Amino acid sequence: MDDDALIAAVARRDDTALRELFSRHAPWLAARLRGVLPAAEVEDVLQETFLAVWRGASGYRPQGSAGGWLWGIARRQAALWLRRRGPAELLLPALLAADGRHPGDPAEAALSRAELARAVSALGPEDGPARETWRLMYVEDKSVAEVAELMGVSPGTVKSRAHRARRLMRAALRHHEPAREGGGQ
Amino acid sequence: MTCGDDLTGGYRDAGPAPDDVDLDRVWLGVAAQVWRRQPGPAERMAGRLLRSPGLARALVTTPSLLLGWVIATVVILLAGVGFTLGTGTPWVALLAPGIAAAGIAYAYGPGIDPAWELSQSMAVSDRMVLLVRALAVFGLNAALGLAASAASGAAAAVTFGWLVPMTAVCALALAVATVTRSPNVGVAAGSAGWVIALLASQAAEGRFTAAITDSFLVLPYLAFAAGCGAVVLFATRIPRGSS
Amino acid sequence: MNVELTELTRKFGHTQAVAGVTLQAGAGVFGLLGPNGAGKTSLLRMMATVLPPTSGTLRLLGRDPGGYGPRREIRRRLGYLPQNLGYYPGFTVYDFVEYFALLKDMPPGQVPSAVATAIEQVGLGDKARIKLRTLSGGMLRRVGIAQAIVNQPELLLLDEPTAGLDPEQRVAFRALLREFGERATVIVSTHLVEDVAAACSEVTLMDSGAIVFHGTPDELIAQGEGSGAAGDAPLERGYSAILAAARSGVAARS
Repeated sequence: MDDDALIAAVARRDDTALRELFSRHAPWLAARLRGVLPAAEVEDVLQETFLAVWRGASGYRPQGSAGGWLWGIARRQAALWLRRRGPAELLLPALLAADGRHPGDPAEAALSRAELARAVSALGPEDGPARETWRLMYVEDKSVAEVAELMGVSPGTVKSRAHRARRLMRAALRHHEPAREGGGQ
Repeated sequence: MTCGDDLTGGYRDAGPAPDDVDLDRVWLGVAAQVWRRQPGPAERMAGRLLRSPGLARALVTTPSLLLGWVIATVVILLAGVGFTLGTGTPWVALLAPGIAAAGIAYAYGPGIDPAWELSQSMAVSDRMVLLVRALAVFGLNAALGLAASAASGAAAAVTFGWLVPMTAVCALALAVATVTRSPNVGVAAGSAGWVIALLASQAAEGRFTAAITDSFLVLPYLAFAAGCGAVVLFATRIPRGSS
Repeated sequence: MNVELTELTRKFGHTQAVAGVTLQAGAGVFGLLGPNGAGKTSLLRMMATVLPPTSGTLRLLGRDPGGYGPRREIRRRLGYLPQNLGYYPGFTVYDFVEYFALLKDMPPGQVPSAVATAIEQVGLGDKARIKLRTLSGGMLRRVGIAQAIVNQPELLLLDEPTAGLDPEQRVAFRALLREFGERATVIVSTHLVEDVAAACSEVTLMDSGAIVFHGTPDELIAQGEGSGAAGDAPLERGYSAILAAARSGVAARS
């Protein structure tokens, strides 16, 4: 059975077709995901990917290639997974280190978290390009190439989005801390 | 789409799966979600009431609680209602015990369960399954019978009166089915016992319905039911261990 | 020790099915060999808490199965495949294994992945949602094995598990046994001597209700050497030698 027929069978709730699809495509999808994610996360994302395939097979139009469709799902699942895992607190060390400050005082840390949340929201809506880029590059610590792969854009676009995000955040933070000295640069 | 992505054949060149990714484990996670069975509302409620999902599943898979069986029971009782309204004889009350006995005999036991020996080694004991299934079948038949009896306009004494002989007949069917390991023999015994009771009351007092309405029969019926219950308990006694 | 039997006997009327068996087993794979009527199935049934002993003591997983509470605890950790296992024709493979997982008191949250694992371990992953009435005898046997292992049992009792399995499936099955034998006590009753050779670390040979040999497969082979006993393979010759000696009343060479 070719891939298109398999996916059509999956749309008809044929679980053996899903099993066959998995054995054919999971290896290369895993290899590709491994390039941007640690091993444990690859397993979770791959599982979510094939569950999404099971649920969404009826939406497949057999004109492109099955491989591209599958990779599109995997990529979306990877992005969703990263988003779910990253609370705002993770931003703090990255940002404070850049500013040369350390969250020794819990009260100061709490205050900073609130400022941070406000600054992050200045980047725009949660799945907007600026915020997503910021999160992937500075929280998840991805390289430019990895972010480009995950977001489906060119490295140049990633760099300019990251620059814009830094600019916006700096402005927001400076605005909220008039009494402190040595604002971030 | 990502630029530079060769969609038609290039994906195969991504290489084999990385060593540190356990694809078998991933597939098991997918399969668990794809294959799983979602219990229906009846099973979920039974699970909460009985505090055991296994017991609930055993209950909803009772052969004589399956839809076909229940429909057949309803049809027979409706026929009984029809006959009663037509002829004045309380057919529902006469039929209901026999139907219930059949249901009980087909609820449980080695005759009806192909995986019987395995069931005896389960943590949810087969005695619990017996009890729950028998009560459910009896309860359902009693409810249906009461509704049919009321619909056929029978006197209150008759409507409720047959619950007692029904208990006795069901107990007989269950005892025989358990001891002989055959539901068919249990049904036969239950039906035969009931027919004998009806014929005896016809011979003694000139009417079948005496078997149902005579109040002095209540205690003998219940004693008989208790005796059959004891037989069932003995036949299903928990295997003794050592000492 | 997961299994401790002391002078265990079982009588059916006047017939002595099991005549004073004393046995101990910890983790590992143990073979139970013997001709038909030797008492293997009765012994296994007693260990599966399905048949009460007539006399003797029985301790399973450190508990006495005489009491309701301990027996239930034993059964939660038990896997049993009877010699004749019927099936429910309208059930799928998944339904059947899940039914017994639930009856073994497995927490419902763990059931789907445990059932999926068991089904894949016996190689029926492409048949999970197929109705049992359409399966062959060998596949049904594998379904039986799946329900036995679904709760990761500490005591796994298998009565003629490889009936109907082709050679390739038997190889896979033996690998499965060895894997389980690392943590659990696995007792396999069989009359197929080669099953024993490949998977078992210890072998018990029964005849007429009594144990006539207990040791490693190599020791059983040694019993057969130079004895002129019948058999095409070394283990078969050992088996025949022991049986012949037992029946003629001569003690086995040790």
